[in-house]
Amino acid sequence: MPTITFAQSSGATTEITVAEGTSLMRAAVTNSVDGIVGECGGQAMCATCHVYVRPEFTDQLLELSDDEDEMLDCTTAERTDSSRLGCQIKMSPALMNIVVDVPADQV
Amino acid sequence: MSTPNAPTGVCPFSGATGPAETDPPAEPVAVPPTSTSPGTFAEAPVADWVTIPDLYNDPFPLYQRMRAESPVHWVPAVNRYMVTSYAACHEIEQDEARFSADENNSLMKRAMGHSMLRKDNPKHQVDRDSYGSTLRPGTIKKHWNQIFASNHAKSLDALIAKGPGADFVWDYAAPYTAENLRLICGFHNATQEDLQRWSQSMIDGTGNYADDPEVWAKSAAASAEVDAAIDEMLPYLAANPDHSLLSGLASLPIPLEAIRANLKMTIGGGLNEPRDVLATTVWALLNHPEQLAAVKSDPKLHAVAFEESVRWVAPIGMYPRETTADVVLEGVHLPKGSRLGVVLGAANRDPRIFEDPESFNIFRPKKPHLGFGGGVHFCAGTWIARAQVAQIAMPALFERIPDLRLDPSSQSIDAGWVFRGLTKMPVTWG
Ligand code: FES
Repeated sequence: MPTITFAQSSGATTEITVAEGTSLMRAAVTNSVDGIVGECGGQAMCATCHVYVRPEFTDQLLELSDDEDEMLDCTTAERTDSSRLGCQIKMSPALMNIVVDVPADQV
Repeated sequence: MSTPNAPTGVCPFSGATGPAETDPPAEPVAVPPTSTSPGTFAEAPVADWVTIPDLYNDPFPLYQRMRAESPVHWVPAVNRYMVTSYAACHEIEQDEARFSADENNSLMKRAMGHSMLRKDNPKHQVDRDSYGSTLRPGTIKKHWNQIFASNHAKSLDALIAKGPGADFVWDYAAPYTAENLRLICGFHNATQEDLQRWSQSMIDGTGNYADDPEVWAKSAAASAEVDAAIDEMLPYLAANPDHSLLSGLASLPIPLEAIRANLKMTIGGGLNEPRDVLATTVWALLNHPEQLAAVKSDPKLHAVAFEESVRWVAPIGMYPRETTADVVLEGVHLPKGSRLGVVLGAANRDPRIFEDPESFNIFRPKKPHLGFGGGVHFCAGTWIARAQVAQIAMPALFERIPDLRLDPSSQSIDAGWVFRGLTKMPVTWG
C-alpha cells in the first residue's frame, strides 16, 4: 500500500500508509497530521490542505486543473513551483512513497 | 509535469489573506482527543436553564456555562441536543456518515425546498457541482470584484447622502450585499429590495420553531415569487448567458425543483452573512481604536479582521444535523435519530482552542475557526463574502469616511443565535 511522508518545518516527520485512492489531505486529517486542515473536505475550495511536493515526485502527479490552480493562488504560505492541494492528490502505485513538506502556515 | 506550477496569478483578495509579516507563525491546533471507546460514555446533561429569549439576546454566557459542563446538552427549549465544544463540532463536520445533513421534519426543507445544504453525498455533490465556477476565486477576480466595487460606490454614496446618524446595516451593508447577490444569482428581473424581502421571509420560515401560520404564509409567498422569477430568467439567460448562477444552471440538465431549492438557500445564505460580517467587523473595529489604526495602516489586515470577526460572532451560529446510528460524541451518548444543533457560535469561542476567546483581537495567533462550516458543506460563498467585504467594502469605506464612528447618542443592537448580527448600528462622522 502507498506510504505518505509528511515533513514539518520543525524537522519532524510522520509516515502514513493508506489505501489506494485515498487523498493525501484525507490521510493527513484522519491521522491528525499537524498543519493540514482540509476545511472544505476536499472540494478544492479552501486552500487549507496546501503541501509542497518534493521534486522527485512531481512528474508522477496529475496536471493541475484550473480549479486547483486558482485555489493555489489563495494559500496562506507562499506558493512555489512545488505547491499542490493535498485533496487533489489521490494515492496510486505511481506515488508509492511520496514525501511532502507541510507549510508553516495553513490559515 | 508540463504545466508550470509557479505563481501565475493573485488571489482576488491577495495579499490580503495572509497575516502581517511580523506575526508569529500559527500554532498547530490541538483538538482534544475524542473518547469513543464503549463503556466510557455519559448521557447528555439537560440544560433546562437555557431559554430562547436568552439565546436570542446574548447566547455567549450560556455557551460558556454549557461548554464548561459538557460538550453536548439536551436543550428542551429548542428540542435538540446542542453541541458547543470545538472538538465535537469539528468531529461532526468531518463525518457525514454518522451525522447526516438530511434532517427529518426540516423547517428549511419546508421553507425553501430540499437544497444541497440538506443533502448528503453523493446527491449533495451533484447539486454543488451544478454551481460551476460562479463562486470560485478565478471568477471573482476576473468578473465580480469590478461589479462589487461599482455596487459599493453607489451604496456608500447613499450612506453619505443620508448623513450622520444613518444606520450602517440598513442604509448601507444590506443594500450593498443584496445588490451583489442579485447579480450573482442572475435576477435581472428583481430589485435588491426584493432580494432582502425574499431572504428574510424564507429565513423566518426556516427558523419558525413556533409554527406561526403568519410566518409560514409570508415564507410561502416569497418562495412563490422566487419560483416565478426563476421561471422567467432561465430562458432569457439560456439565450443571453452571463456569469450568474442561474445562467450556468440554464444550460444544465438539472431538475427545476433542485434549481429552485438551491437558489432559495443561496438567497438566504448569500445576503445575511456578508451583511452581518461587514457590520460586525466594522462595529468591532470602531470599538477597538488601536486595531482600527492597525488595519488602516496595513491593508493586509482587512482580511485578518474579517476572519477574526467570523470567529468572534459566527453569522450562522448554529446548523442542524441528525445522527444515523447510536454514537458516542466526545464521550456523550447520542441515540440514533438524535437532532443536533452544531453551535459554531460556541465552538469558535472554545477556550481549549482560542486564548481569551471572548475578545475580538486581530492580533491573536491564527487558527482555523469553524465559522464557514467544514467538510463537504463548507460554505460555497466563502470567497465571495471575503471579496465583497474584506477586499472591496472595508478599504473603500475607511478611505471615504476616515472618521467613521458609532453614534454615541444611539445604541447599536446585536441579536440572534441561529443567525447573529447587528440589527441596529447608527453611525456618525464629520
Ligand atoms: S481540502 Fe479544501 S482545498 Fe483541499
